[in-house]
Amino acid sequence: MKLKKLLLIAAVAAGLGSASAQTKPEDVKTFTLQNGMKFLVLEDHSIPNANMYIFWKVGSRNEVHGITGLSHFFEHMMFNGSKQYGPKQFDRVMEANGGSNNAYTTENVTVYTDWFQKDALETIFKLEADRIANLSIDPKMVESERGVVLSERSTGLENSNYRLIGEQVQSVAFQEHPYMLPVIGFESDIKSWTQQDLENYFKTYYSPNNATTVIVGDVTLDQVKKLAEKYIAPIPARGLPPKIRTVEPPQNGERRVNAYKDISTPNVMMAYHVPETKNEDFYAIDLLSSLLTSGNSSRLTKALVMDSTLATSISSSTDESFDPSLFTIYAIAGSNVSAPDLEKAIDRQIEMVIKNGVTDTELQKVKNQKLMDFYHTLETINGKARNLGTYDVFFGDYKRMFEAPELYKNVTNEDIKRVAAKYLSERNRTVGYLLPEKSK
Amino acid sequence: MKNIFIALLALLSVSAVAQSTFKVPKYEKFQLKNGLTIYLMEQHEVPLINVSAVFDAGSINDGDRAGMSMVTSDALLFGTEKYTKPQIEEAIDFVGARLQPFTAKDMAGITASFAVKDQEKLLDIIQQVLVHPVFDKTEFDKYRQRTVVELAQQKESPRAVIGHYYNAFLFGNFPYAIPGDGTKPTVEKMTSDDAMAFYKSNYTTGKGAIAVVGDFKTADMKKKMTDLFGGWKTAGARMVKRVAPNLEFEKSRVLLVDKPDARETTFLIGGKGIDYNSADYVPVMVVNTILGGRFTSWLNDALRVNSGLTYGANSRFTRMKYAGTFAISTFTKNSTTVPAVDMALNVLDSLHKTGLNDEILSSAKAYVKASFPPTYESAGALARLLTDMYVYNFDESFINTFQSKVDGLTTEQSKKIIADYFPKDKLQFVMIGKASEIRDQVKKYGDLTEKQIKADGY
Repeated sequence: MKLKKLLLIAAVAAGLGSASAQTKPEDVKTFTLQNGMKFLVLEDHSIPNANMYIFWKVGSRNEVHGITGLSHFFEHMMFNGSKQYGPKQFDRVMEANGGSNNAYTTENVTVYTDWFQKDALETIFKLEADRIANLSIDPKMVESERGVVLSERSTGLENSNYRLIGEQVQSVAFQEHPYMLPVIGFESDIKSWTQQDLENYFKTYYSPNNATTVIVGDVTLDQVKKLAEKYIAPIPARGLPPKIRTVEPPQNGERRVNAYKDISTPNVMMAYHVPETKNEDFYAIDLLSSLLTSGNSSRLTKALVMDSTLATSISSSTDESFDPSLFTIYAIAGSNVSAPDLEKAIDRQIEMVIKNGVTDTELQKVKNQKLMDFYHTLETINGKARNLGTYDVFFGDYKRMFEAPELYKNVTNEDIKRVAAKYLSERNRTVGYLLPEKSK
Repeated sequence: MKNIFIALLALLSVSAVAQSTFKVPKYEKFQLKNGLTIYLMEQHEVPLINVSAVFDAGSINDGDRAGMSMVTSDALLFGTEKYTKPQIEEAIDFVGARLQPFTAKDMAGITASFAVKDQEKLLDIIQQVLVHPVFDKTEFDKYRQRTVVELAQQKESPRAVIGHYYNAFLFGNFPYAIPGDGTKPTVEKMTSDDAMAFYKSNYTTGKGAIAVVGDFKTADMKKKMTDLFGGWKTAGARMVKRVAPNLEFEKSRVLLVDKPDARETTFLIGGKGIDYNSADYVPVMVVNTILGGRFTSWLNDALRVNSGLTYGANSRFTRMKYAGTFAISTFTKNSTTVPAVDMALNVLDSLHKTGLNDEILSSAKAYVKASFPPTYESAGALARLLTDMYVYNFDESFINTFQSKVDGLTTEQSKKIIADYFPKDKLQFVMIGKASEIRDQVKKYGDLTEKQIKADGY
C-alpha cells in the first residue's frame, strides 16, 4: 500500500517483495476459537498499523417495545468499564498506546472498530477481552450515558431530515418485523431501560460465538492466533441468542406517512420491500440502485436533478441485512416542486425501467463502477477490514468480496427488468413525505 | 455511532508517524514552460491513477460575489470545446471514474481517480475541463437555480452552516469571512459569463499545479502531461498582496443565530488560531489532542463522559494560508446551553491554569504518531498532499520532521505553546439555537448580536 515506501527499514520491505502485491482471497486466513468466535486475518505490512473490527450479530432487529435502542446503548456501554479497566480506562489505555476506536450499530449488527499502531495489538486484545468477559454495568455510568444517547438522538433529528423521515417510513413499512424500530430507540425507552434489561441483553447477545473478528494490518497470523488463544479463548460461550421468529408478510397495498418540519422544500422517501442480502437477487437490486442514482448520468439523477429542476438531490440504497429489508429512494424537491409531483417524476423513471429495461451500455457502466469500488476498497487496511467483515457476516463468506465484481458481471438486462418489476411496485411500497410546516 | 467527531477526525486530521522513520515517497516535480507545476509519484498497489489539480482560485478571490469560486469550479464540468456536460458525465460514469471539482479558501480545482486502462480518455477529459471549458449557459442556469435552493436547505442543519457564521464573525473584512458556498443574493445574480471571467483570471498556469499519483511510469506520464498541458496559455499570474487579518479581539462577543424550531443549541467558542505554516503547528496539534482532539480529550470527558450533556465535544485549529482559527465545538439541548458553555470554558481555563503533565503528554504523542500513517495511505491522499505543498508552500520536511517534533515537545515547552496559541479570554461565541429560550442567559458571555437563520447570508 501507499506508505510502503515511506518505510526506510529495509528489513520490513524485504519480506514483502514488490510493493504491488494485490490482495487475493487466499491471503485471508481464518480460524475459529473453541468458544465459537471466528477470526479473519489479513497480513498487510504496507503501513505500521493494524485494525480490529468485531462484528456482533446484534442490532435493533433483536429488540422489542420497551427496550428499543438497547443494542445501540450497548455500543456505548461497552466503553464504560469492565473488571480490569474501570470507567474511562478502555479509551485512555487505548489512546495512550497509539490506538483509537469507534463503533456503530445498525438494525442487524453492532460493530466495534479499533485502529492502532502495530505494537499495540496485545493491549487491544486485553481491552476487548476484558469487556467481553467482564463488562460492568455501573448504574452511575448508565445514567450519564442515557444523556449522551438522548443528545445523539436529538442532534440526528436536528441536523438530518433523512433521519426524521426515514424513521417514519421504517415504522410504517414494517408492521410486524422489528425492522420497524429506530436503531437509536424511542425517547421514552431510552429514559427507562432498567439495570435488569441491560444485564439480560449483555448475557444474551455478547457471547463469543455471536461475533466475527477481522484483523488487517502489520501483524502476523501467528501473533493474532496466540493472542486470541490467550485472551479470548478463555471466555466461555453461552447459548446462541434466540432466533427472530417474526416474518414480515408481503405488503398488500401502498402505505403513506407524512411529517412536518420547518424546511424549505419537501423531501420524499419511497421504500420498497426487498429480500435479505443473501438472496440471489441482491446483485441485480444493487445494480438497479446504481442505475437509478449513481453518478450524474444515472436515470433519476439525470432526469430529476441534471436535466430538470425537479429535485436538488436524489439517492437510493439498500442496506446489508439478515432479513428482508428495504430498497429506499430519497429525494429533495427543487423550488416550487410539490411532493406529489416529485413522486410522480420518480415513478415515471421506474416505470420506464420496468417496461424497457436499460441499455447494455448503462448496465456495463454500473458493472464497471462496481469493479472500481472494489479497487478503492483495497486501497486501505480499513477498507479491507470493513469489507471482509461485512461480506463474511452478511453474505456468509468473505470470499464473496473478491467474487463480487464477477457476480455483478453476471447480472443481465433481463434481471434488472425482472427485479424492478418484482420489487418496485406500488403495492409493495411505503411513501413518506416530509413537508414544510403549514403557514402559521 | 460512538462518536461522530472521531469519525470526522479520522478523515481530516494530519497527525504523526508511528514506529519508523518516514519519508515522503519518491516523487518528481517539474515546471512546464508556461509555469504550470507538475508532481508525479508512482504507486503500484492498485491499478488506479489519481489526479489533484489546484489553482489560486479559492473563495479568498470571491470579492463581493460570495460563491464565485465554488460556482466556477463546479462549472468547469459544464462542457468543453470537445465534450458536452452529459458527454463528460457519461464517459466518467461509464468507467467508474471520479472527477470532482472542489473549492477551499486558498485554492480551487479538481480531483480525479480512474483505472490505468482508462487513462487516455480521462486525461483527455481533465485537459479539456481545465484548459477548454465553455461554461454552457443552459447548464449553468439550471445549476444556479438548484444552488440557490440548496443554500436555503443547508440552513435546515445548524451543523452544516455554523462554520460560515463563525468565519464571517471572526474575519470581518478579510476575505476568509466569505462563505465559500455563496449566499442567495450573490449566487442568484451569477451568469456563465461571470464564471468564464473568474476562470480566466484565476486558473492561471503560473499559479497552478497538477499532481498525478498512481500506477504509471514517471517518464511516460511526464511526456503525457507535457503534451497535454505544455501548450496551455493563460493570463499571467495575478500578484495580490495580502495582509494577514487581525484576530486579536478587544472584547468577548456573542453571535446568536435564532432557529425558532431548534431543539438544541449548536455552538462554537474560540478565536485566533495559527496559519498553515506556523512553525509551532505540531506542538499546537499535540496539545489540542489533549484539549479536544480525541475521545478522551478533556472537553469530551467533561461534557460527554462525565455529565452526559452532549454526544460529543471537541476543539480544533483550522489553518489557512494567511490566518487560522481555533474553536471549541459542541451542542446540547436548549435547557442545558449555559451549563455546557460554562463547562467548556472551565476546561479551556484549566488548560491555562493547570497545564499538562508528562503522562498525558506522552499519551497524546503516542496517539498522534499512530494516527499518522493511515492519513497518507491512499494514492489520492498523497496527490492532495503534493498539491497542498504547492498551495501552502511547504515541503516534505514537514513529514520527515514530524515525528521528531512530536517527540521533542516537553511539558515545559507546552506551557509556552498554550500561552501563545490557545485563546484565553475575549472569546468569540457563535450559537445557533432557539433565541427565545436562551437569549437572556447567553448575553452574559459578551456583546450580543442576533441574526435569523433564514435571513440571507451569514
